[in-house]
Amino acid sequence: MPLWANPRVGLVVLLVLLVALFSTIRPAFLDTRLTLTPLQSDISVYLVIGLAQMSVLSLGHMNMAVGRMAATSAFAMGLVHHTLGAGLLVSLFTGLVVGAGLGALAGLIISRTGVNSFVVTLAMDFALVGLITILYTGVVDGVAFPTMPAGMEALRFDTFADYCAGEICGPRIPLVAPFALAAALLTGLLFRWSRVGREILMTGSSPRAAELSGIPTRGRVVQAHALSGLLAALAGFLLAANNGAFSAGIGDGFLLPSFLAPVLGGTLLAGGAVSVLGTVLGATLTQVIYKGLNLLQFQLDRLQLYIGLVLLAALSLDRARHVLAGRREAAP
Amino acid sequence: MTLSATDRVTRRGRHLWRTPEFTLGVIVATGFLALAFATGGNLLSAGTLEAFFRFLAVPIVIGLSQMVVLAVGQMNLSVGALTGFCAMAAAWLMIEAGFPAPVAVPAALLLGLVAGLINGALVVLTRINGFIVTLATMTIIQGLRYGVNGPDTYQGYSEGLRAFGRASILGLPAVFLVAIAVAVAVALFFSRTVTGRQLLASGGSPFAARLSGISNDRSVIIAHGLSGLLAGVAAVITVSASGSVNATIGDDLLLPSFAAPIIGGVALTGGMVSVAGTVLAAFLVRLVDVMQAQFGINPRWVDLIIGAVVLGAVLLGTIRQRVRERST
Repeated sequence: MPLWANPRVGLVVLLVLLVALFSTIRPAFLDTRLTLTPLQSDISVYLVIGLAQMSVLSLGHMNMAVGRMAATSAFAMGLVHHTLGAGLLVSLFTGLVVGAGLGALAGLIISRTGVNSFVVTLAMDFALVGLITILYTGVVDGVAFPTMPAGMEALRFDTFADYCAGEICGPRIPLVAPFALAAALLTGLLFRWSRVGREILMTGSSPRAAELSGIPTRGRVVQAHALSGLLAALAGFLLAANNGAFSAGIGDGFLLPSFLAPVLGGTLLAGGAVSVLGTVLGATLTQVIYKGLNLLQFQLDRLQLYIGLVLLAALSLDRARHVLAGRREAAP
Repeated sequence: MTLSATDRVTRRGRHLWRTPEFTLGVIVATGFLALAFATGGNLLSAGTLEAFFRFLAVPIVIGLSQMVVLAVGQMNLSVGALTGFCAMAAAWLMIEAGFPAPVAVPAALLLGLVAGLINGALVVLTRINGFIVTLATMTIIQGLRYGVNGPDTYQGYSEGLRAFGRASILGLPAVFLVAIAVAVAVALFFSRTVTGRQLLASGGSPFAARLSGISNDRSVIIAHGLSGLLAGVAAVITVSASGSVNATIGDDLLLPSFAAPIIGGVALTGGMVSVAGTVLAAFLVRLVDVMQAQFGINPRWVDLIIGAVVLGAVLLGTIRQRVRERST
């Protein structure tokens, strides 16, 4: 495939053009403290939620409950801290386990019954959206936990520039960014090098062929969904760190961005192929557009309008590139 | 009754009481009676009963709106946003532009139809998955919906339209009768018209449909257009029944739009529809709603119960199919 037919290259070009455009109109776009550091915090959250969706897109499945899985896990994190006084790591770990458990449950229902993943996770979303409010009302009589584990404040406000070794300080990168990078790296390694990851992709591209080749497809479905739940939980944690509270509203706005990032990055809904790098670029692109339009003081309605239009344009371009590349290859 | 393109040829000796719709109908009737008893007949009092049916109209129409795109194996995520946008546009026409209701109502329907056709055309032209296309158009339409009047509310439009929203014929709200009429029209479209059968054929097996000379592209565009038109109908019902509209209209419609056809036994893979099932499922969801209001249960339990019902209905359908496959 020629270089220009690679969707990732198109994304990078688009990203550079947009950053150039925004910083010409508003030089404040390049202000580290005002724009770039918060931008990185946002990208971290939406990258991880994009990865969560990508994990099941690899199977050709969908996870309509990503937002609510994140919210339920965030509740679990808040709960162990609130009632047991657990620290940051224990809370995070509990939340991740709960998220993975929810994902595994969805995967189990899908693989045992053969019901469409869209329906199962949609029903799960319905169920969890009710459950979360009931839980919050029951435990804290409100919509958020009043306290956070120690260290969450640092995750919220600090950058590596606040930590110095002698004269040398770190760059102005928020502390949440490494979490997202690690998640992206590990997911990428899983799908590229590990047996489980490869077998998930094979299950996605042809369940029957995978089954006939001796791949335990049911198990792989459960594992992919568990991974999706785990990443959703991490995204919930990062958003809670950015917002400064474990609240019932976490995950409300996750569904659309969770699809945007991987799909813009070239991951197909059909399954069988994923692109972690594409998801990173897709998440970055959407957040740059949000931030840029925000700085240009666009109203909420314009913002949504342009996001939708950019998405359609990017996808159509990608499609056109695909068709052109196909023709080029067909020609002698 | 579930309807697919091959029905008239292959269905033999399938009795009414063995259809999924019959089961659903029994569940709904039992639930309704149980609720009537449990509330000491309160449910059957004129006012409660009327409210019950009045707020059933939109769920029915929005469920059908999703069902027609499911028939060709597509999804339309923009139904809720489109309903809100059409409602806002209709209110804008009446209040800001000063048009009478007889102009605003067809305009809202037309707007829905055009938006739906654009959805369909985008799917066909770009060959991008319909889920993603309508996800994008949903965002765009949400922006447009907010752009009509910002966060403000429109109220005090056409007295005639609001009177229609409150009107009752033989004890049943006029808007509910409209929804039923729409359901009958959709059922006739799929069972009696050539175009309707072609839609089902395209959804059931695009390859076979193409070999039979059916244009799948045309089917996709028609299905999306029809879905948009039905969203327009839901918008008109909302405008007339609620008396005031703002930019949040339609936000809570997306999930119910899927719940009704799925509980009603419509497959996501396309090729089949069930108007009766969709209507009954909307009825069932409304029952849960009323139960919550009557007993003062935390409204959040409703979502939980509906989620369980959706999953239960789908599981039941799968089990039923397996049993049937084993018995034949």
